Amino acid sequence: MSQSGRTAPALSPVLLLGFALRPAPKPALQAAASLAMAALLRSHRGVFERLEGLANLDFLIDPVDLPFRFHLSAALPSPRLHVLGEDQKPEPPVAAMIRGPLPALIDLLEGRIDGDALFFSRALAVEGDMAAVVALRNAVDGADISLAEDLLQPLGPIGAPARALLRAGGALYRRAERDLETLRAALIAPVQRRCDAQEAQLHDLDETVASMPARRRERRP
Amino acid sequence: MSLRALELVCPAGTPASLRAAVDAGADAIYLGFRDETNARNFPGLNFSRDELAEGIAYAGSRGAKVLVAINTYPRAGNPGPWTKAVDDAAALGAWAVILADIGLLDYARQHHPDLRRHLSVQASAANAQAIRFYCDEFGVKRVVLPRVLTVDEIARINDAVEVETEVFAFGGMCVMAEGRCLLSSYATGESPNMNGVCSPAEHVHYEERNGQLVSRLGGFTINKFRDGEPAGYPTLCKGRFRACKRDSYLFEEPVSLDVSNILPSLMDAGVTALKIEGRQRGKAYVAQVVSAFRRAVDAAARGERPDTADLSSITEGGRQSTGAYEKAWR
Amino acid sequence: MSNTPKLTLGPLLFNWPVEQVTEFYGRIAKLAPVDTVCLGEVVCPKREPLLGGTLAEAAGTLADAGKEIVWSSYGLIADEKELAATRDLIESFDGLVEANDITALPLLQGRPHAIGPLVNVYNEGTLQWLVRRGAMRICLAPELPREAISRLAESAGGAELEVQVFGRMPLALSARCYHARAHGLHKDGCQYVCDKDPDGMPVDTLDGEHFLAVNGIQTLSHSIVDLSAEIDELLEMGITRFRLSPHKVDMVAIAHVWRDLLDGKRDLPRARRIIEAVAAFAPPSNGYFHGRPGAAVV
Repeated sequence: MSQSGRTAPALSPVLLLGFALRPAPKPALQAAASLAMAALLRSHRGVFERLEGLANLDFLIDPVDLPFRFHLSAALPSPRLHVLGEDQKPEPPVAAMIRGPLPALIDLLEGRIDGDALFFSRALAVEGDMAAVVALRNAVDGADISLAEDLLQPLGPIGAPARALLRAGGALYRRAERDLETLRAALIAPVQRRCDAQEAQLHDLDETVASMPARRRERRP
Repeated sequence: MSLRALELVCPAGTPASLRAAVDAGADAIYLGFRDETNARNFPGLNFSRDELAEGIAYAGSRGAKVLVAINTYPRAGNPGPWTKAVDDAAALGAWAVILADIGLLDYARQHHPDLRRHLSVQASAANAQAIRFYCDEFGVKRVVLPRVLTVDEIARINDAVEVETEVFAFGGMCVMAEGRCLLSSYATGESPNMNGVCSPAEHVHYEERNGQLVSRLGGFTINKFRDGEPAGYPTLCKGRFRACKRDSYLFEEPVSLDVSNILPSLMDAGVTALKIEGRQRGKAYVAQVVSAFRRAVDAAARGERPDTADLSSITEGGRQSTGAYEKAWR
Repeated sequence: MSNTPKLTLGPLLFNWPVEQVTEFYGRIAKLAPVDTVCLGEVVCPKREPLLGGTLAEAAGTLADAGKEIVWSSYGLIADEKELAATRDLIESFDGLVEANDITALPLLQGRPHAIGPLVNVYNEGTLQWLVRRGAMRICLAPELPREAISRLAESAGGAELEVQVFGRMPLALSARCYHARAHGLHKDGCQYVCDKDPDGMPVDTLDGEHFLAVNGIQTLSHSIVDLSAEIDELLEMGITRFRLSPHKVDMVAIAHVWRDLLDGKRDLPRARRIIEAVAAFAPPSNGYFHGRPGAAVV
C-alpha cells in the first residue's frame, strides 16, 4: 500500500543536521512541536475543521532525513503533534503515513505540492488510507500556512533569528526551492540552542491549548 | 487590433485557492459546496456557506465573479441538499450556478428565475440542438462545452445558437462524454454523477510488486510503473490496459489538456470563456496556471501570439494535448 | 396499460455482418417471447449505411410476428449529419422512438416517446419533467441502486419504467473510437474493425484480469448484468418492463428464461444455470442494484 518504495535519504544538510540532533533531548523537540500546533490551531482552525468527518485523523509523518517522526492527531478539539523516536510506534494506529525528505514535507505544508503532484512525484511515499492523505493535503492547502509566520512566530524571542534569516533569504529561497538548507538551519538551530527555555514555556502553553478549543467552538456555524 | 478577451474562469477548491486565483487575474471563480452536490466532492475540499460568502466578497472587491457548481445529479428520494445548494447560492449572491440535471434546472428556473444558469459540462450538451433545448426550456445563459468537440464544431455551434460558450482550456481531460460515464462506479461503487467523485481516493491502493509500483482502484489494477517512472493518480480512463494482446493507454495517455496555443482560433470560433480544470489542485498550481493564462489571454486579445512556454512545466508528466479540439485526436 | 410485465429486447449494440443481423431478428420474431424489440444503430453512425435496409426489413418481420417496434436513436449526437439522420428517423417512423441523447428530445416534442438508458434520469424531478413532456417509457441507467429505482417507480405517474436485467452494461461513450485506437487506426479510417468482436473487445487489466469491453466509441462492462435474483423486488417496486441486451448467444433461450420468471415460474437456480451456460463468455454481476461496484456479485 505504499505509494513508493522506502526513499533512501539523500546525503543532505538535513541529514547531517539529523545526526547532530540525535542527542537532542526529545522533550525539547516536543516543546517546539506543541508550540507549533498551538499556533496552527490558533491561526488556522479551518485546517482541522476541513478534516472533520474522516473516521481516523491520525497520521504518521516521517522525515527520512531526521532521526525522529511525528504523530499528528488532527481531531478537534485538541489536535496534537507528538514527536516519536525512530522505533516508537504511534498510538492509536494511524490512518496513513507520509514519508519523505523534510524539504518535500515542508513544500507540502506550505502548499507548494498539490494533491495531484503528490502522486506524480515519487519523492514522497504515502501508505494507508489515500482519502485521509488527500484530505490532509487539501485541508493544509486551504490555509495559507507559512513556516516563518505561523510556526516560528510563536517561538517568541527565540524564533527571531530564524525569522530574520527567513526574511533575508526569502528571495534566494524562492529561486531555489529545493535547497532548503538555510531554512532548515534557521528552523532547527534555535530550537536546539534554547530547548531548556522552551520546556518551561511549553508547560504553560499546553494548558492554553487545552482550554482554547472550547472557547473557539462557539464561533462555528 | 484589440479583440474582446476571453473570460478566464478558474477553479477553487479552498478559500486560499480562490484568493490565489483572484490575485492571479481570474475573471471568475467556480467552486462547490463541501458535499456531494458538486463533481469534485473530495475529502477536505470545497466551501462552507460562510466561506462562500467570504469568497464572493473577496472576489467582488477585486472585480471577479463567483460561480457555484451544483453539477451532480440529485438523489432520488433526497433532493434536499441540491435544491438547498441552489437556494443558498442565490441567497449569498453567486453570479451564476452551474447545473447539469434537468430536474434541478427546472427547479432553479422556477424558484430563482433571476439567478443566472450555466449548463455544466456534466450535461454533455454536444451540439447546437441540445444546447438550444437547454436554453429554450431552462433559460440557460452559458454552456460549458464537452471536451469531445473540435474547434470547427464549436464555431458552428456558436453560429447556430445565441448562447455564451465556455470551453476547457487547461488541466485534466475527460475522454468520455462527461456526465455519462459509469467506469468509476463500475469499479468502486462511487458514481461521479451521484457522489461527485471519479476514481475516489479511498478506493485507491498502491503496492510494490517485483520492483514495480502497482496502482489499483477498487481491486482492479489500473497501472504499473517501473522504478523511477513518474506515477500518476489512478484515474480509471488514464490507466494502462491490455487489449488486442497489447498493453497500452487504451483510452487516453496521462496528458494534460492545454489550449494556450490555439487561443486565437477559439476566439474566432466565438467562444466566450475559458475554463481551467483543477478544483482539486493546490493554490500554488492555481496561481501559476491562472497567471500564465491571464498573460496568454490578454496577448491574444491584443492580436499577439501568446507565449505559453511557462505552462509546459506544470502539466501532468510535462505532456500536453489539445485533445478533441483537433480532429486527429479521435 | 396491462399489468403483465413486459420483456424488451434492447437495441443490438454491436457491429455484426448484415446476414447475421437478419438471421438474428428472424429467429427472435419466430421464437423469442419478447413483447418489444428496439431497433436502430445506437453506437456508431458510421455503421448505419451498412445496416439501414437490413433493420427496416427486420422491423417488418418482427411486426408481422406481433412484436412492438421501438426505434432507438444514437447515443452520442455530435455533428449535423448525425443530427439530420436522427431527424429523418423521427420523421419517418410513426411508432415509439427511444431517445438515447438529450438531442433527440426537442425533435420528439408533442409526441409520445421512450427514454433510453443513456439519458440521465437520476431523480423524481427529472423523471416527472420528462413524463410531462411526453415520455411514456423510461429505461433506467444501469448504475442506479435499488433505493433510487424504487423512488423513481413511485413517482413515474403513468409512465412505464424499464430496467436492464441481462447483458453487458453500457458504461461510457466517447468521441474517440477505442476499437480503432486499439488497432492503431484513426476513427475516420477505422476499417470497421469493431466487426471483429461480436460482443465487444475484451479489455483486461495488466494482471490479465477481465475488466471492460470496448465496442467502437462505447465502453461496456465485462460482466453481464443478471438481475434474475432481484426479480421479486423489481416487480414489487412497480417495474413493468425488463430489458435484455442482445449478445451473440442464444437470446431466444435467455428470453424464455425471463418469460418464465415473469410468468411466475420461479425456478431461480435453473434460470441462473441457463443464463450462465448460455452467456458463458463473461460472468454475471448485480452490484449496482445493491449499491456496490457494478462489477460486484452480491
